[in-house]
Amino acid sequence: MTRAEAVALALSLLADEDIVVAADGAISREAYQALDRRRTFYMLGSMGQVASIALGLAMTRLERVVALDGDGNLLMGFGGLALVGGLKPANLYHLVLDNGCYATTGGQPALSRQVDLSAAAVGAGYAWGRRCFSDDHVPAAMASWLAARGPALLDLVVTAADGGGSAPRIPMTPEEMAARVRAALMGE
Amino acid sequence: MMASHRLAAFREAGVEFVAGVPCSYLKVFFAGCAELPPTSFLPAVREDHAVAACVGAWLGGRRVLAAMQNSGLGYCLEVLTSLHLMYRIPLPLLVSDRGAPTDYEEHRILGQRTRRLLDLFEIPWRDAVPGQHAAEAHWLVETSEAGAKPAVLLVGKGADV
Repeated sequence: MTRAEAVALALSLLADEDIVVAADGAISREAYQALDRRRTFYMLGSMGQVASIALGLAMTRLERVVALDGDGNLLMGFGGLALVGGLKPANLYHLVLDNGCYATTGGQPALSRQVDLSAAAVGAGYAWGRRCFSDDHVPAAMASWLAARGPALLDLVVTAADGGGSAPRIPMTPEEMAARVRAALMGE
Repeated sequence: MMASHRLAAFREAGVEFVAGVPCSYLKVFFAGCAELPPTSFLPAVREDHAVAACVGAWLGGRRVLAAMQNSGLGYCLEVLTSLHLMYRIPLPLLVSDRGAPTDYEEHRILGQRTRRLLDLFEIPWRDAVPGQHAAEAHWLVETSEAGAKPAVLLVGKGADV
């Protein structure tokens, strides 16, 4: 399964009111291409902060907050895992699109093949954590993840063959991206 | 426990969510934060995560505040530039002002460049003075909201309470 296919599948399983934080780079572009939503925040930079932004949302909102993260991204902001695990927001759902490398910068290997991210999440205090290696198991794994009590992390192994992917840049200014999410959440 | 007039002033100015990493200069303020409801205070593990969590809470509709030692501003540079300055998101920042020539070595290098660092990124700042909590809280919240960007209140030794 490609990262873009996994992002599209995850988005198809969400309710309209769910809030999404999409990681900077290919994940945001693929999320926009698959299904643009007013309640998706598209990150363009600040690598390593996906979980922390999602945590700020989860603490202040009652809706489910879904973080679409990358493995290198999560490793860069590993303290975010401790924050989520320690503070335990039950409405935070963390999906790692794990291609084992820094795909957009040329495929340099990441340490996610040595570090078990789902075990680390459970060690940090997440209520649920699993790793999924097989394409055949992805639909069931995603269903279990979203049915679990949060905070829940699913580490989904995806192919790295597509590199940075082919999704184009998102045709919105950063200011429009942020204002749109806030307006949607404030009922405007 | 001594009440935090600083925190009370920010609450009065509309702040509903605080995230930060403690500094000894802000210990009364942080003691007050620990008494807030669990959905209103995020005790972060590093300053950049606190600032990123403030983005989430702001997107969620809250008025936010980040608090930290000035050494933490170094960790925050990427987040302040790639989130707040780029997306035009307001962020009031309460930052301790360490690094005076009489302060310990570990505070001096970044501490003595704090104001220049903020000026470089066109982030407005102001020095706290004793007894001006309400005016300073309003200035900080209003300046960051009007500019849709970070603004900093620098708190020296003894200016916390």
